[in-house]
Amino acid sequence: MDQPVIRIIDLWKTYELDGSGVSALRGTNLEIKKGERVALLGKSGSGKTTLFNLIAGLDRPTKGRIEVEGQDLKTLGEKGRTLLRRTKIGFIFQFFNLLPTLTAFENVFLSLELANKPKPQLALHALKEVGLEGKERRFPSELSGGEQQRVAIARALVKKPSIILADEPTGNLDTATGNQILELLTRMCEESGTTLIMATHSPLTCRYATRILRMVDGVIFEETS
Amino acid sequence: MKIVTKSFLRYLPRRLSLSVLQIVGVACGVAAVVGMTLSARTALKSFSNTIEFLRGKSTHSIQRPVGPMEEEILSKLAQDPAVQWVSPVVDRQLRLQNGESVHLLGIDPFLDRSVRPEIYRVEFLERERENLENLLSFLTDERAVFVDIHLKKEPGEYSSSILKTEKGPLHIKGRIPNPSGEPLVLMDIGHAQKLFQLQGYIDRVDLILNDETDFISRWEKGFVIQSSRQRRETFSGMLQAFRLNLEALSLLALFVGVFLIYNTAMFAVVSRRRDTGILRSLGANRLEIILAFLSEILILGLFGGALGALLGFFLTRFLTDLLGSSISNLYFFLRPEPAAWSYSIIAVGIGLGWGASLLGGVLPLGELSRTDPVKALSGRITTSESSRKAKKAALGGMIILFISLILFLLPGAHVYVGFAGVFGFILGVSLLMGWVLLILHPYLRRIMGRIGGLPGKIAAGNIRQNLGRTGVAMAAFMVSLSMSIGLSGMIGSFRESLIWWMGTQIRGDLYIGKIDEAEVPEDFFEELKKIEGIGGVHPYRNVQTLYQNTSINVSAVDARILQKYARFGWLKGGDENWEGVKQGGVIISESFSRRFGVKAGDTITLEGIRGPETFRVVAIFYDYTTEHGLVMMDRTTYVKTFGDLRLNNVGIFIDPGNPRRAELLLEVKKRAETRGLPVLSGSELHRNILEVFDNTFAITRSMRAIAIIVAFFGIAGALLTLFIERSREFGIYRSLGFSTGQVARMTLTEGLEMGLISFLLSIGVGTVLAILLIKVINLRSFNWTIFYFPAWQPYLITGITAILASLGAAIYPIWRVFRTYPQIQIREE
Amino acid sequence: MIDLMKHLWKSFFLILLIGCFYTPAYAKEWRQAIGPWSWSFPKDHGTHPEFRTEWWYFTGNLRDSSGEKFGYQLTFFRQGVFPRPKGLNQTWAIRDLYLAHFTLTDVSRNQFWFSERLSRRGPGIAGASETGMDVWVLNWKARMEEKKIRLDARHEGMALVLDLIPRKPIILHGKGGLSQKGGGKGQASYYFSYPHLETEGKIKLPGVQTPFFQVRGISWYDHEFGSNQLAPDQVGWDWFSLHLSDGQDLMIYFLRRKDGSVEPSSSGTLITPSGEGIHLKLSDIKIEVLDYWKSPKSGGKYPSRWKINIPLSLIEIEFASLVSSQELLTSGSTGVVYWEGAVEGKGTSSGRPITCEGYVELTGYAGGIGGLF
Repeated sequence: MDQPVIRIIDLWKTYELDGSGVSALRGTNLEIKKGERVALLGKSGSGKTTLFNLIAGLDRPTKGRIEVEGQDLKTLGEKGRTLLRRTKIGFIFQFFNLLPTLTAFENVFLSLELANKPKPQLALHALKEVGLEGKERRFPSELSGGEQQRVAIARALVKKPSIILADEPTGNLDTATGNQILELLTRMCEESGTTLIMATHSPLTCRYATRILRMVDGVIFEETS
Repeated sequence: MKIVTKSFLRYLPRRLSLSVLQIVGVACGVAAVVGMTLSARTALKSFSNTIEFLRGKSTHSIQRPVGPMEEEILSKLAQDPAVQWVSPVVDRQLRLQNGESVHLLGIDPFLDRSVRPEIYRVEFLERERENLENLLSFLTDERAVFVDIHLKKEPGEYSSSILKTEKGPLHIKGRIPNPSGEPLVLMDIGHAQKLFQLQGYIDRVDLILNDETDFISRWEKGFVIQSSRQRRETFSGMLQAFRLNLEALSLLALFVGVFLIYNTAMFAVVSRRRDTGILRSLGANRLEIILAFLSEILILGLFGGALGALLGFFLTRFLTDLLGSSISNLYFFLRPEPAAWSYSIIAVGIGLGWGASLLGGVLPLGELSRTDPVKALSGRITTSESSRKAKKAALGGMIILFISLILFLLPGAHVYVGFAGVFGFILGVSLLMGWVLLILHPYLRRIMGRIGGLPGKIAAGNIRQNLGRTGVAMAAFMVSLSMSIGLSGMIGSFRESLIWWMGTQIRGDLYIGKIDEAEVPEDFFEELKKIEGIGGVHPYRNVQTLYQNTSINVSAVDARILQKYARFGWLKGGDENWEGVKQGGVIISESFSRRFGVKAGDTITLEGIRGPETFRVVAIFYDYTTEHGLVMMDRTTYVKTFGDLRLNNVGIFIDPGNPRRAELLLEVKKRAETRGLPVLSGSELHRNILEVFDNTFAITRSMRAIAIIVAFFGIAGALLTLFIERSREFGIYRSLGFSTGQVARMTLTEGLEMGLISFLLSIGVGTVLAILLIKVINLRSFNWTIFYFPAWQPYLITGITAILASLGAAIYPIWRVFRTYPQIQIREE
Repeated sequence: MIDLMKHLWKSFFLILLIGCFYTPAYAKEWRQAIGPWSWSFPKDHGTHPEFRTEWWYFTGNLRDSSGEKFGYQLTFFRQGVFPRPKGLNQTWAIRDLYLAHFTLTDVSRNQFWFSERLSRRGPGIAGASETGMDVWVLNWKARMEEKKIRLDARHEGMALVLDLIPRKPIILHGKGGLSQKGGGKGQASYYFSYPHLETEGKIKLPGVQTPFFQVRGISWYDHEFGSNQLAPDQVGWDWFSLHLSDGQDLMIYFLRRKDGSVEPSSSGTLITPSGEGIHLKLSDIKIEVLDYWKSPKSGGKYPSRWKINIPLSLIEIEFASLVSSQELLTSGSTGVVYWEGAVEGKGTSSGRPITCEGYVELTGYAGGIGGLF
């Protein structure tokens, strides 16, 4: 089974901005295998977020092809892509993006509910895994940044996805906390065999990656360190 | 409950102040609709109840075309083989000493009991019960009356069983039930004849017929016979224009209400955009998000609707009174009882809240489900996108405006079409709002920058930035303000037109007697004519009769005197039109002409005492006395046609240069007073007419107030949402060193600016609205031309209202700024 | 009386009625029926306004061409209220009230209808002539022209147009027309009849297909006026008017007292085929009630079958009501509940078998009417 989890062929994405076209991706090609932990380095605006959104099926490419676990996203349709997000892909954001009106537990449970596995124990367990036992009933505003990101990790992993897309997961955290989070994230992905792709502009992240990619002006280069 | 839904609903308690504002917003909309429709329905129902109740079991009624009929006819009617029952009636208005008027029915209880049995469940006053003879006093005491139970507690009017009226005290012997809304006084027919100096005459006979056609064939000539159905139609025809007015006001309330709710739903959408992005990225589908959002606006609709129903119910108590007095001023006395409380009102309110929420939520909901999660999460709503939307809306608005224009231009279209056009106009204009803001933005920025400095500039930017929100709020506010300007402009112009009209027709020095009651004895008229030196003693008679089975008015005047002293507003020609009137022709009011499509030179046929008579229409004149149509003829023609010599009032004209002027006026006054007849000077009469006019429009004015209140909540909601949405930005301002005062000023400027722009736009829109109301709605529903008189007062009042409302709406957000700003930091939730 | 009034407060009309019939303040102003009356016809067919109460009573037994039996009653009352009415508007001022009752009986269908009217004189809507028989309440009227009386009444489905021609002369009851109704002075009325009127005309019944029934038969006419007829201890009366097949006619009335006894001044008149009246004293008449009928509407228990024996004239007859429910609940006019209906029977007269028909009036069986009339 050496089929790649993600395969991207000649991917283009162009935005219409005030009349002129701005290309975020210009013919990117990429293959990522199961269990890989990829660090995607690039300056802000280099197209990392665009790529993530395209992989998650949240956005549609201008041109090119994306396959997740061998399935072409275009042929999946809106329904299939929604299902994909529910079960196969977990998101972690720079700004945590927890729902402010839900407690830590509910934020995690929401993910299960959407994946049609509404078992509270799983959510409680996931929170325990990320070290938030006892803080399940807190609202995001009552948690520190690091804690919020832990909730986000729990939310992403609880549904046992095959891919985790982490967009600047430490971008909003101090270095120490950032390292703790990365450690946690990579360990958990390793344990569950989940593919992890981390978009980052900080080389620090590379320490936790098995593979490093660099994105420059919408094109990906393999980095061998 | 799904967690997705929960994540939305949790906002309700979390942002309590906003939720309360939203609920109040929905409630105001619902209250306006419930209050208006409920009271309109109550008033009209009470009107039809009155007619039904007074009709009793009678199948027909017979009367002279105008004026009372001889009572000898009664026994002939009773002997007619087609007649099963007769009940003679003296049907009059009686003015109480407090100025109110009540309906007095003079009846023969023995005959009338078969027609109106319900009335005779009399409850005698305690002291009347002592002996049988007292109980008979209804028949023996010439001032004995039964009053209906609603009249029982009028302080001063009803003490120790005396009813004080302008015709002296009446003795209350007992109370009668009266399910109708019209205060009723019952008197024996003989006594009523005496009270109104009608000995030998009755107003009409209510009949129970076995054979209608047989009867009509014998009695047609010289009489007006109407079946109960026709009578009801005649009466409700009288109220048609009024009913239309009420329906329009209810619709207006609905329109403003839906707008407000749309506003509310829009804000809910906007504030959920980010959450929607997160949920979508987690794999929530559109349906789940729509359901979550729906449950939120339905909860708002539920509480808002229920609260609105309650508010509307209390509003009804107030509006019903107003409606009652409007109807009383215009048509006949009615005192509608406010609708009784019923839980179905709550149900209706919730239904309305939901309906309007759904209606208002459809567009935002569509937008929400289409939300691009990427953009939502990146927090980027490009200005180009919002301007594209604004342009799209503006295009839609243009199309609607164009359709409205076509509706206005449709010749001879029904007034409903006119209403549709007016609503189209308002809707179209409100859709242009965003686009107009886009155009105005650069100038505004400059102006606001000059006035408010940096905070002013930022405020202008904020409005532009949040076009989706501010545009809707401002459109709603602008519509309300335009409504206010339009209604005031229409009422003001109407008032001015009325003043102009009074100047053309009511030019006498003195008026003796009342317009609405036959009061002046003929011999007094003769007596006045004998006084030397008076330029003109003008006999005036105004009666209702039927033309093509529709109630109209006929006036008898002295053409010679009016030709000399009055200056009628003719549609065509001048005072030489009187020549034709002197020769037996008639002149008709504009409303008559439009209503029946009669032109000068045509002939009209009226039922006279000797059968149908045909008259040539000499000319058409402007008139606002009745929308039902007025036919004016010379007194000699009138008497010949209708055999009615009675007089409503007498006008006294004295040449301005007459040296004995003051002396003559005093002499006339003295003589009238010895007869106990009311005397009014020309200007006093003008004042009285204006007073009635102002009372009549009380309901419209209160509608205007409701529109403003609703608008206030709209703009307050908009500001508060913007404030809450921007707390992140406040952190930035703070980090940049903005003081609390500056942020407060920014908020204030923003509110003020929204109010001012809305007001500035409403100047144009309101003026157009006023002209539309005058030239389309009034013309089509009342058939009369109102001349547009521009006035600055409505604009000033509306402008002040706009500024106060937007300042008031900014107060709460500012208070929040002062309370929370010092703690705000740059941080994420 | 006070108890009764308590119940009546809500009904203006009952109060009005009781008030109108019970105005003792003026009682002395009405002329009393005392002493002989000098009769003059047709003037005495007209009204006598100086007396308080006056009535014109028509009853009759009719048959259509197929022999189906009908009965009718058309009665006009004048009740004085105020001898001298107050007020300037004399047209509508109330001096008298005019009342009328109209009934039709359909024997073969066992049905009975009645209606009633009440009116003041007003501008000619009700009234009675003082010079001859012409009495009307709205469009119900009785009018005598030459020797013929025309009755005309319509109400909803009911109608009647009849011509009545007297076949026997006027009979004055009591002593020269003064008919004693009690022991007291003035407790009497002037009372006369046309006992036998040949009747022809048409009637219309509610809910019956036939537009009009052409009918013939015999009617009885009573005219009575007085001011103070029933004493407070009298509860009601039984009145009989019978046409015997041998040409004799019989009128009898019994005034019943509260204690169950019969007023001694009760009496009757037997009219011979040639029209001669024979006064019958109470002792001349023997009556026996054979059966009763209880009204489901009023609860009154009325005699419904009688046996009358007049030994003096060798008459013995037994007769019964043709339709039992001929009861009038006149809440809208006199306010009185009474039974008045067609009867029929047979018997013997001077040993020869005869049949008889006529009308019976029974008052005071469902609530007293003492003091009213």
